[in-house]
Amino acid sequence: MNSANMNDFSMDSRAMAGPLAARLEAVREAGFSEITLCAKDLVNHPGGVDAAVANVQASGLAVTAFQADCDFEGQSGPLHRFKLDLAQAMLRLCQALQCPLLVLPSSRLAPAADTGSKLVRGLRQLAMLAIPLNIRIAYQGWAGGAAVQTYLQAWDLVCETDMPNLGLSLDSHEVLAADTPQDDLLADLEMLDTDRLFLVQLTDLLAPAVTPGQPMRVLPGDGTHREALAALVISLHGLGYRGSYNLAAFNEDYAAMPPHHVAQRASASALWLGQDVLQRSVPLPNQIRLRRLMTV
Amino acid sequence: MTTLMRTAASLPRHNVKDSFLKDTTMTAANLLTPGADREQIVEGDNPLGLEGIEFIEYATAKPQALGQVLETMGFKPVARHRSREVLLYRQGGINVIVNAHVKGSPLSDKPLISAVALRVRDAAAAYRRALERGAWGVPTHVEVMELNIPAIHGVGTSRIYFVDRHKQFSIYDVDFTPIPGVDQHPPATAGLHFFGIVQYIGNDRSDDWTEFYRELLGFQPLPPEQRFGILPKGRILRSPCPAESRFYIQLIEPEASVLDVEDDEGLHRIGLGSADVLATVAELSRRGVEFVSSPSVRTSERGALSRTWLGCVSFEIVHDVRG
Repeated sequence: MNSANMNDFSMDSRAMAGPLAARLEAVREAGFSEITLCAKDLVNHPGGVDAAVANVQASGLAVTAFQADCDFEGQSGPLHRFKLDLAQAMLRLCQALQCPLLVLPSSRLAPAADTGSKLVRGLRQLAMLAIPLNIRIAYQGWAGGAAVQTYLQAWDLVCETDMPNLGLSLDSHEVLAADTPQDDLLADLEMLDTDRLFLVQLTDLLAPAVTPGQPMRVLPGDGTHREALAALVISLHGLGYRGSYNLAAFNEDYAAMPPHHVAQRASASALWLGQDVLQRSVPLPNQIRLRRLMTV
Repeated sequence: MTTLMRTAASLPRHNVKDSFLKDTTMTAANLLTPGADREQIVEGDNPLGLEGIEFIEYATAKPQALGQVLETMGFKPVARHRSREVLLYRQGGINVIVNAHVKGSPLSDKPLISAVALRVRDAAAAYRRALERGAWGVPTHVEVMELNIPAIHGVGTSRIYFVDRHKQFSIYDVDFTPIPGVDQHPPATAGLHFFGIVQYIGNDRSDDWTEFYRELLGFQPLPPEQRFGILPKGRILRSPCPAESRFYIQLIEPEASVLDVEDDEGLHRIGLGSADVLATVAELSRRGVEFVSSPSVRTSERGALSRTWLGCVSFEIVHDVRG
């Protein structure tokens, strides 16, 4: 297995069932060097957060991103203070994992009045909190967001907020589901500054699914949008994107499988993307990753 | 500030119905003031009423060794903390606190610049303003008869204190006991004064820290061609203080050849201003201070760099006419 082709692909822990240690082992054995985690991975560990962090460090896996579903931005008053406390806890967990990137999906909560300014103010505050911790924030629009539902809306907000450590997380689910013609998609993607595109989350889609209107998230290559997904990755590469790809496929079927099985399937997806789609045959030059360490 | 990227507003394919931001002219800049959603109220250049550095604090397990270094540099020990192993050193308007009070993890033998105290108009207001903009508050542990000085987290493990009692009376009058028989206001060696602080940062972190100091404290980056002293690397931020108390923060990233950055963000050294660098160097040399003299760094009228003591303590002298 040529793991050099998988260096910037991370496995999403949510794709696998089982205890954290078993999932870490499965990811490692499948040839990945990176993983994406979320708060539940840590707080549900029977030994507590410290033990979970120790597991992650012992695994040798770098944590590419930390998923923080905290419905943060857009609130005011007591709800904002509550969410601020939650977001601070998420940042601390991210820091404990020595993870350089916190992914913030757009909030599901309807924003208070004065939408635009509340959203900008909230994101500025969160990004500022992340600076001393050396953490970047990747903001992600998604269909469940109350005010921000697309990556273009999220990008607008990132630009408006204008913080150096705030960028975008792009989920292929939105792109594939929208089925935008390739030329229009390329025009949309060209609006993004790839230096501010901090993460690309890759999933293929498979329909019909259990939930009507919600195609199942499956690993790249396992779904019905194989060509569109390959075209998206090639387009992003052509636009200059050199960041990480997170294999963010999770569904009830994967959750019913042993983690090793899912991780091996993910490995096959990563190799398909790395070798066949991006056509990497040897380790790329200048691929040494500089570690970002947290200091507060 | 980073450059504002292209927004969908200028591009044709972004539908107006998608853009929830279209109905507002809000930008990050005019969100900084309460009430900005009703009218344009721009804060001044110095929103906290910053008036210089009140003190710089070192933490060390070897306070006497650091004390000797400070005395060689012309500082005098003038007061002790009432309840903790903390000493106040002073020369002219420069206060340096040496903290050997163990709290939590043991202190390192190597002294570390652990705090910078800033003089502000209203410490409580400055603290609240910083928290609203995303600073981390530092919980304080005040003993009986001690001042509660609000602080936020700075780089690394350091803190930034806000002090507003620097005019009518001094914070040291409350928390410190003067050392008997010692001049409480020893003159500065050759007119030395605070000039700035050098902060080491990680790769590609200049924009982050520039925004941190700009947004929270009102610092502004200087143009690249404006440099002081003999160590011009990195980015220099100017405090918004009046000219007589102005100071600078110099942000320095690793050399391009350094690939693995390990936990190395922190406050590295203090810069002291002098109207006559060569005279100051001569006076300090008589006191036993040695200065670096190498092909790339050597004493000149622009500045000088002391040799490093205790593995990490050095002082930079920078030409700066004050007052």
